Amino acid sequence: MSTVVETPQVKTLTVRLPLGLLGFEHIKSYWLISNAEEEPFAWLQVPDEGDLAFLVVPPAAVLPDYAPNLSNDDVSFLGVEGPEDVVIYNIVTIRPDGSSSVNLKGPIVINRHTMIGKQVVLANSPYPIQHPLGSA
Amino acid sequence: MLILSRKTGESVVIDGRIIVKIVRLDGDLVKVGIEAPSDVPVHRQEVYDEIQKANREAVTQNRPRTLPKLPQHPVRGV
Repeated sequence: MSTVVETPQVKTLTVRLPLGLLGFEHIKSYWLISNAEEEPFAWLQVPDEGDLAFLVVPPAAVLPDYAPNLSNDDVSFLGVEGPEDVVIYNIVTIRPDGSSSVNLKGPIVINRHTMIGKQVVLANSPYPIQHPLGSA
Repeated sequence: MLILSRKTGESVVIDGRIIVKIVRLDGDLVKVGIEAPSDVPVHRQEVYDEIQKANREAVTQNRPRTLPKLPQHPVRGV
């Protein structure tokens, strides 16, 4: 049982990524932390690993028409039936020079009922890995 | 690396649950069919490498004070 700081401003959910993120396959569980002041951004934080975290954003805040096609394998892995069953976050990179981008090619797709997710690879899509965002 | 010779239509079985089949040859292009359980991720190496690199670049221990600016969307459906 994990103890998580919960205030009216900060909401924390546990997300299970059984396959991990690409390059971080050993980390299977994250806290999804949303702070009212930072919305729509949220943090995908590694529990008990200092402050190791990924900044994420729902794609609707970046590209309203974003519509990734999930493969049958992804759909069966996630155990979802339609778009209404999933919540999607995309990982944001902020570079030392202040420039930033969002990865639209490798979204994190989560079954909103089970909170089990997967970093899906949209290999044949036109969505870029580095979709530029405005400077911080 | 294990190197095997296979003819078109022949397969390799890995760990009793992953089947890699040579489907077709077309010049220097090889079509490979892969059957694997849904908990075994299969990626083209270059795409895997790119996303892995992006993830490693994105992970942070220092929360920035200012977050990136998001685009202002025009009102839709008007």
